[in-house]
Amino acid sequence: MTELTTGTTASVPLAKPDSVRQRSPLYFAWRRFTANKAAVGAGIILLIIILMAIFAPVITTTGPNDQDFLTNALNFPSGAHWFGVDNLGRDFFTRIVYGARVSLGIGFSAAVFSLLVGLPLGALAGYLGGRFDWVVMRIIELFSVVPPLLAALLLATVTRGGVWAIILIAGIFGWKDVCLLVRAQVKSFREKEFIMAAQALGASPWHIVWRHLIPNSVSPIIVGFVLAIPLAMMLEASLSFLGIGVQPPTPSWGQMINVGMNFMFYYWHMAVFPTAALAVTILAASLLGDGLRDALDPTLKGR
Amino acid sequence: MTGFIIRRVISMAVTFIVVSIVIFLMMHSIPGGPFDGYEMPLPDNIKAKLMATLGLDKPLWEQYIRYMWGALHLDFGVPFQSPGDTVIGLVAHAWLPSVTLGGLGILFGAPIGVLLGMAAALRRNSWIDYLASALATLGLTIPVFIISTGLILVFAVWLKWTPASGWGEPKRWILPIMAYGAVPLATYARYARATMLDALNKPFVSVLRAKGLSERRIIFQHVLRNAAIPMVTIFPAMFVGIATGSIFVEAMFRVPGLGAYFVSSIDKRDYPLEMALMLLISALYSISYLLADILYAVLNPRIRIEGRAR
Repeated sequence: MTELTTGTTASVPLAKPDSVRQRSPLYFAWRRFTANKAAVGAGIILLIIILMAIFAPVITTTGPNDQDFLTNALNFPSGAHWFGVDNLGRDFFTRIVYGARVSLGIGFSAAVFSLLVGLPLGALAGYLGGRFDWVVMRIIELFSVVPPLLAALLLATVTRGGVWAIILIAGIFGWKDVCLLVRAQVKSFREKEFIMAAQALGASPWHIVWRHLIPNSVSPIIVGFVLAIPLAMMLEASLSFLGIGVQPPTPSWGQMINVGMNFMFYYWHMAVFPTAALAVTILAASLLGDGLRDALDPTLKGR
Repeated sequence: MTGFIIRRVISMAVTFIVVSIVIFLMMHSIPGGPFDGYEMPLPDNIKAKLMATLGLDKPLWEQYIRYMWGALHLDFGVPFQSPGDTVIGLVAHAWLPSVTLGGLGILFGAPIGVLLGMAAALRRNSWIDYLASALATLGLTIPVFIISTGLILVFAVWLKWTPASGWGEPKRWILPIMAYGAVPLATYARYARATMLDALNKPFVSVLRAKGLSERRIIFQHVLRNAAIPMVTIFPAMFVGIATGSIFVEAMFRVPGLGAYFVSSIDKRDYPLEMALMLLISALYSISYLLADILYAVLNPRIRIEGRAR
């Protein structure tokens, strides 16, 4: 974080030396972020999708599981049904909008879960070092040997799918990124003078971690949190696509793509809309995460 | 160097054993057994007898040791879903389309990715730079089955250039190979760009320019060599994608490969096949990471010293 206040990038003009004003690192991060058009665009799109998910009942008056007469099933997009009707006679636009709730809900909850596990473990591993660090690193190594998707497959079968199981699984495979980011940051701060001063004043390890190290790790924490969201959404979609994720009739985009595949050759709307919705949302979330990472920690750029 | 390799191999072996135990336990903790899925339920005494002949009534630790001992002798047992075959035979048979597809996918994706990334680094902020970053972001963030759906929709449904699915004549290989190649392409486009930029900004490039060396020689003789090291070291990791990629790509394009067995073996509680597949993938994972580490150490001596100090 110290580099943020002194170092500048070419795109951020500094104030004149005679009118120096104390600017917080977050101010410069914000300036860097708004200079990144792709990230800002992605953020706006994501915001629209989030608002759509929150106000889903206002946007479409029909419920996600309301069925029309089956004679209308598989109708193509029209004025009454913007995205057409699915094979069970449900309005597809409504299904897509409610699908955003599932996808984003799982993405955010899994990210929170990753943070709750990864943050304390990473901070303690970085601060304490030694045996604790060794154990945490070995656990992370274990997770890197198993392909996440295959282990998730197994776990999803053990738990028989469902929203909470998916959140748990995504968290289990998401915490290690947060943990590694926080650990690296804490480790580099552990030897700094202000930590030594705090130690000399008799502060407990818990106090040092909570009051000094974690506030100094805000950028990796935000970055880890935001980047965990698209990963969890991807996992949910993949598992639902394979039929072991979110169970019907709960609308999930991955599941809709799986069904839509069978109708794709004639009833194209069944495949196009969920594919586009998932692609746009995941892309927006990752672009936003990348933008935030570049803005908050310019040293990580290009990785 | 030997010390470094031995240390890595030992740590890999320990991790591998722990992972195999965890997978074995997880596999057996899935409710239901291999003979519960029939339309007509088996009588209990017959089921018990079947379980006994297959050794499934033994305690878990004994089953694990028996399985791993067999695996050491390349005997992975008989798959429950096709008792006339062996796991090895079944995997060897299904492995061929998966490996062909994966290998061709890497051969298609990696070189294009490297070229794109290099071009992007040399012409920063040009259209090719934007194209490379767009492709890299798309390939790395969007799940493979979305890319596959997109490819089928565009090339098979709308343009009708290629068949949508199947396996056999090479015409049907085009779309799955493109879907497979997306990840290596994206990885290399991003990676090649970053490493090239890194090398281009090193002071030795300024020295070479000051010396009056032609730009072509600087790039191809000096910069490329420096940038190649990290590019080579991530190559083994590409093969790892074959395993997970195969589940989705093969399902989307109806390729008779290994992918379908991942899901069906879990579904049918086909323990020997499931365990063999998981072991195979974990081994592939560990070996490619080990290879990447060793390659990196060979190409970059600084790592070895760092490793010794640790």
